[in-house]
Amino acid sequence: MSIDFKELIKDFTNGLWAENPIIRLVIGMCPTLAVTNTASNGLAMGLATSFVLIMSEIVISIIKKLIPANVRIPSYILIIATFVTFTDYFLKAFFPGIAASLSIFIPLIVVNCLILGRQEAFASKNPTHRAIADGLGMGIGFTWVLTLLGMIRELFGMGSMFGFQLLGEWYRPMVIMVLPAGAFITLGILVGIMNQISREGK
Amino acid sequence: MEKNSKRNLIITLATIGIISALVLTFVYEWTTPYIEANQAKAQKQAINEVLPNVEEVEEVEKNGNIFYEGYDANGNQIGVAFQNSGGGYNGMIEVMIGVDLKDNKIYKISVLNHQETPGLGARITEPEFKSNFENKNFGDYQVVKTPPKKETEVQAIAGATISSDSMTEIIEEGLDIVTSAYGGGN
Repeated sequence: MSIDFKELIKDFTNGLWAENPIIRLVIGMCPTLAVTNTASNGLAMGLATSFVLIMSEIVISIIKKLIPANVRIPSYILIIATFVTFTDYFLKAFFPGIAASLSIFIPLIVVNCLILGRQEAFASKNPTHRAIADGLGMGIGFTWVLTLLGMIRELFGMGSMFGFQLLGEWYRPMVIMVLPAGAFITLGILVGIMNQISREGK
Repeated sequence: MEKNSKRNLIITLATIGIISALVLTFVYEWTTPYIEANQAKAQKQAINEVLPNVEEVEEVEKNGNIFYEGYDANGNQIGVAFQNSGGGYNGMIEVMIGVDLKDNKIYKISVLNHQETPGLGARITEPEFKSNFENKNFGDYQVVKTPPKKETEVQAIAGATISSDSMTEIIEEGLDIVTSAYGGGN
């Protein structure tokens, strides 16, 4: 078996921009809107989701031929749920601070449609090495947008970034930015800017 | 044999289920001691925070509630710490309350768990809000939006009235629990 590196790089970079899960595919919106109120929450959520995404893409691309088509969705969900539960216990045991601030949104990774979507669209049709490249690309693509959203919302909403106070006493925090409405506004503006950038690139 | 036969479907799902259950059993066994240690550590820290100069802590059960009686270096009881929880704005708030039962005063409070909005309700964990209750006599507290004039007034966090109300209720309820367990506030 020969590995086509050009193809691998294309699979990897696909998720970073061209088919970025948040700004282009607009999937996985629940955690995107819910936990990006601070930069560190966004980053932690992105990394947790990436781990689950990559691991399930690996497992599913390996056993794809063994799974009958009629039960592929319940099979995928079982595999995804296993990794999510693992992540949940692992964070609670070794990173209690992160586990506390993300709380219910860690178990909810199970229903993140980005993960099931990539199994259906990619891992179940492609060899394992390509699935890893896709998982990494999509994972990093998801994480960077989540972190950026968190940074913007935390800066305007609390005057800080990653917990460090950046803006002084003179700044009156825009409370709406840390509330759900702020997530919609920021995401809308961000998607608009990104669309403008990719249109000019053409 | 046909791949989508009923037998094959059952075998596939059962196999994945069994493997997944096995893996998670090991993960559970492996992480549980760490998770319990983290919780115990957080609780111990909270007790030390709400009881001043506590040296030794004894766990006592009264009326089905657990209380942590704190003693100083000379073995004198300085106060009692206990947990109470209630609904906040987004989820449960768990508070550790340290009280002086001789003078019926609150020493300090500490928030163990909460899911309030960062930057708003989450400020219940900040000293500025917690000081509302420090060294206060037991009583009925009123949540106010201006700087408090009376001792029983609690200044709400701007933009987080519900969280402030919940905290006050959890603490008032906690004081009832501790006074009834320790004999009606004598």
